[in-house]
Amino acid sequence: MTFLRSLASLRLTLVGMLMLAVGAGLTYDNRLDLPVWVLVVPLAVLSVNLSAAILTNERINRQFGLLTFHVGLLGIVVLTAIGRLAYFDAHTELAEGQEFTPDVLLEIKKGPFHSGRLDQVHFVQGPYTVEYAAGMQRGLTHSQVAIAAPEGGLMTKIVGDDRPLVLEGYRFYTTFNKGFSVILTWKPLSGPPITGRVNLPSYPLYDYKQDNTWTPQDGPPIKFWLQLETGLREDAAWTLDARNSRGVLVVTQKDQRVELNPGDTAEIEGGSLRYERLSSWMGYKVYYDPTLRWLFFVAILAVVGLAMHYWRVMGSRLWPSVLQESRDDDKSQERGSN
Amino acid sequence: MNELAAELPWLWAGLAAYALATFTSIGGVAIQGPGGTLIHAQRSERIVLALLIAGVLLLGVAIAQRWIRIGHGPWISLFELLMSQLWSLGLVYTISYWKLPRFRPSAVVVLPVLWVLGTWLLTLEPKASHFPATYYNEWKWIHVALGKIYLALLLIGVGLSGVMILRRAERVRSWFSAMPSDDVIDRLAWRMMMLALVFDSLMLIAGAVWAQDAWGRYWQWDALETSAFGTWLALGVGIHLRLTYRIPAWLSGVMIISIFALAFATYFGMPYVSPAAHKGMV
Repeated sequence: MTFLRSLASLRLTLVGMLMLAVGAGLTYDNRLDLPVWVLVVPLAVLSVNLSAAILTNERINRQFGLLTFHVGLLGIVVLTAIGRLAYFDAHTELAEGQEFTPDVLLEIKKGPFHSGRLDQVHFVQGPYTVEYAAGMQRGLTHSQVAIAAPEGGLMTKIVGDDRPLVLEGYRFYTTFNKGFSVILTWKPLSGPPITGRVNLPSYPLYDYKQDNTWTPQDGPPIKFWLQLETGLREDAAWTLDARNSRGVLVVTQKDQRVELNPGDTAEIEGGSLRYERLSSWMGYKVYYDPTLRWLFFVAILAVVGLAMHYWRVMGSRLWPSVLQESRDDDKSQERGSN
Repeated sequence: MNELAAELPWLWAGLAAYALATFTSIGGVAIQGPGGTLIHAQRSERIVLALLIAGVLLLGVAIAQRWIRIGHGPWISLFELLMSQLWSLGLVYTISYWKLPRFRPSAVVVLPVLWVLGTWLLTLEPKASHFPATYYNEWKWIHVALGKIYLALLLIGVGLSGVMILRRAERVRSWFSAMPSDDVIDRLAWRMMMLALVFDSLMLIAGAVWAQDAWGRYWQWDALETSAFGTWLALGVGIHLRLTYRIPAWLSGVMIISIFALAFATYFGMPYVSPAAHKGMV
């Protein structure tokens, strides 16, 4: 018990808090090169200290509000730790008409105990619009996705910016990273035609660099760039919408330069290339943390506990005397003015 | 030019009201009535209260005018943040000034702080700001409202702290003779800090929900988040220090002012450290 009491020391609390302040300061701007221990150690010290205090300190465990607050703080630390062990973070680029499957995910980061039902997540990317204010300042994104309706079939949902698509706990956020893609068909001199989709760099971020190379299976590499008309304006508001955009495909191969409109075909070395149509792709950030909802409730519960405690403390001790003094003062003021 | 004029006359009038309230409050405590009575101070307090109410109303109109002019609330630029803080700090302080007459002389500390913000505001361009997509989130309202109450409670604490510190100086001690003892002021100041901790915590929670929806993460130690967490922690350290040690009134005041300084730096300094803070990704 003596050992527990020493662990519950308020001086240790202060040391832990100062360590946490230093750790937080070092973590500033989410430095990736910093070891996680700068936060884990002070949080561990504070958790042990807090647990001991909850068990031994009667000022905490005999006052319901204060107890709720401190247990809540402990709960936040535990839930955050669980969240880090089970989290999932990735990016993906989905073209219009493409169905999401886990194999299209990029830059995957996840906790060692992550076990979500990502294979149960299904949706199909639709068209999108992005509003821009004058000066190329990005506004609202409206991205259409088709998801399974509860009664069967598909239903359309609009997501974007602060409205993520949430499926099986996985949250899909639209990002600034989006652009155009082209649907191409390569018909070799012999053999069946091959249709593929090629994404071009992010737009309008790289509006000056809309080029790429496509190498169909068993075919030659085909270099091309896209001459776009999207309505982009620097000095006025405009809306990015692939449905209202035009793109001329400029194919270069050796000394040959061909301009293709959607539906056009060009004979090039080894076969023919057909530019089917212009399409678009949207970049998503994918995030999963099974503790999010619990974190919210525990944090609110902790603050409610703290508020209850202060309400009781203030109501019983200080406010009556302060307000009484104020009332007395008002009366004396009235007498003075009479 | 005409567009700019819409909010500026109201803003200047509001700041003028705050300035007059500042001078009147100082005159009220510095100039005592015959025989040392506080009759003069009591009259000046009524004038101060009226000027504060006028200042809050005028700044409210200025904010509304700007809102109509640029199409969104005062959320984005430093000009807008200062203008809305001057309104909300003024509003909460006016309520406390009205409800707690014994503590009114603390206005000589609080109102100059408001005027630092006011003077700063006058140096800024009132140009229209871009409203980022992530600011359409409804949690912004809750986050901002809680933050305003939190900062205002800290400001009231600063006023009380200033009194505890200024009382050490012989020349101005009489200014605060009508106020309760340091012990009572200290307890009230720390009650304000405790209330501030509640609102600060709620503000951080609302901000985290907003950040999760807007940026896909509830916490990422960016400039503003780190600084806000530092202030929350400083509040916790202050409250625990006071529980652990016997702190003299003047030092208690210094602690509270330091916490306010951290919060002030979070609100108004971070936009200089990290221009991208809370502005969303392009």
